[in-house]
Amino acid sequence: MEIIQQLIEIFPYAILGSILAGIICGFLGVFVVSQRVVFLGASLTQVAIAGVAFSFLHLINIEAMISSLFNIVITEDSFLHHFEPAFFSLLFSLLVVIVFSQTHRQKFLTQDGLLGIIFVVAIAARIMIIQKSPVAELSEIESIMKGDILFIGSREFYSLLAITFFIITFFTLFQKQLKFVVFDPESSSAYGINSKLWLLLFYLVVGTGISLTTRYVGDVFTFAYLIIPSSIGIMLGKNVLKVFLIAVLIGASLPPLALFLAFKYDFSSGPMTVVLAFAAFLTVLFYKKIKEN
Amino acid sequence: MEKEIIKFTDVSIGYNRKTIAQNISLSIYQNDFIGLVGPNGAGKTTFLKTLLGSIKPLSGSILKDDLRFGYVPQRDVVQPLLPYTVFDVVMMGRYSLMPTFSSPKEIDIDKVLSSLEKVGIYDLKNLQYNSLSGGQRQRTLIARALAIEPDILILDEPTNGMDTPSHYGLLELISELHENQNLTILLVSHLLTDVANYVKKIILIEKNFFQFGGIDEILSEENLMKAYSSTFSVTKLNDEFVIRLKQRN
Repeated sequence: MEIIQQLIEIFPYAILGSILAGIICGFLGVFVVSQRVVFLGASLTQVAIAGVAFSFLHLINIEAMISSLFNIVITEDSFLHHFEPAFFSLLFSLLVVIVFSQTHRQKFLTQDGLLGIIFVVAIAARIMIIQKSPVAELSEIESIMKGDILFIGSREFYSLLAITFFIITFFTLFQKQLKFVVFDPESSSAYGINSKLWLLLFYLVVGTGISLTTRYVGDVFTFAYLIIPSSIGIMLGKNVLKVFLIAVLIGASLPPLALFLAFKYDFSSGPMTVVLAFAAFLTVLFYKKIKEN
Repeated sequence: MEKEIIKFTDVSIGYNRKTIAQNISLSIYQNDFIGLVGPNGAGKTTFLKTLLGSIKPLSGSILKDDLRFGYVPQRDVVQPLLPYTVFDVVMMGRYSLMPTFSSPKEIDIDKVLSSLEKVGIYDLKNLQYNSLSGGQRQRTLIARALAIEPDILILDEPTNGMDTPSHYGLLELISELHENQNLTILLVSHLLTDVANYVKKIILIEKNFFQFGGIDEILSEENLMKAYSSTFSVTKLNDEFVIRLKQRN
């Protein structure tokens, strides 16, 4: 009880932010897993980190460009290390999903192959960029990779809230088109729905969600919560709505519990969220096997 | 005389400027029942995509009325992990007719249910698409196409990989849809005998070889030799075509 009180007092935004990150990943994960593009999640998390690493090179001063464009004065303290990493993380991810969305049913390149290439290139690029960065703060990059949810402050929390709202609104407003295009892209074109455009929009939103979540809670958390809650939802859900509800519920409920356990037993919070999700997955898998027999 | 709804004039089809078939001229009329046959890689899918407007012809002209196409893909293409019900899948066909932000209305639900009735799977409407047999899945996809009240129904290898009862059951259903609903149908298949015994006209397609017309006219041993580079015997037994491979070259 004492630990819970301490957690709520010291890390209120971390608790709330981890719930939102779990909701985002659980929701998007249903699409990623059901589309059989799980590797997209892995690749995008690495691309997002490469984007963060790139921001430390300071080759392009985005803040200065924005301030001159809108004629506003921004102090370095308010923006630096907050806006640029997220901006480049998002930019890199969106470029990748644009390329990826156009590779459906290519003759010479499988989507898996392409994602594999992106995955390793993103890791290599990140390592090289960090080595050459004049101001690289390894501790910050490390924290992103390790996925320390405890770093979520009010700014990150409100960003995650905005992303959650954006994603759910987008998928609710355009659920008909997205459902058909994701289910059967080939036929949807024949029925007059522009499947290329809708797939591009779909992947852009997925890329946005994954890259920004990676920036705030780390690649380990993001990838795990894209895959595990949605897999549990698919195993247990009797209809599509229930699959989403279960995935979102699992995604939202496990991170705070993991924070508590990490705090209590002195573990890193990111890996603890993964271990807990895996335990939930094993339990459901075991239950399903017993039920089947 | 039925109304002409599609007219190909000297059309070449292909991808990225690579011609797969050329000199295609044909007219499709309302209430036609056409089979599209040819060897693997002959350009059947390219022809379909060109007809549907997914790819542009390399040359020539295609005149189409403002047609509504009911497309039925090969069922292997649709392998969802999510537990969509049969009703959900058929309703997807109606999505293309609804305004962007609106949800299904009473009329959409009626059309979906009547389509399920037409293909004989009304009782399966609440079952998961994933749990169905191959034949039932194919009927679901046909119902989805019928739900939009198409001007022309296009079926891409609908009986692929089915057991014999499902295979002939499905061909009977397609035939009934043509007879009872006066539907214009284009049936793509690699099974010559099936096509010959169900459709009324045939398109025989192979690289740089294109034939279109009545079955007796097109299914000659000479044409099949040109298309498949193999020798066939074509005979009629009790008014049914029997096509046998005599020699593979």
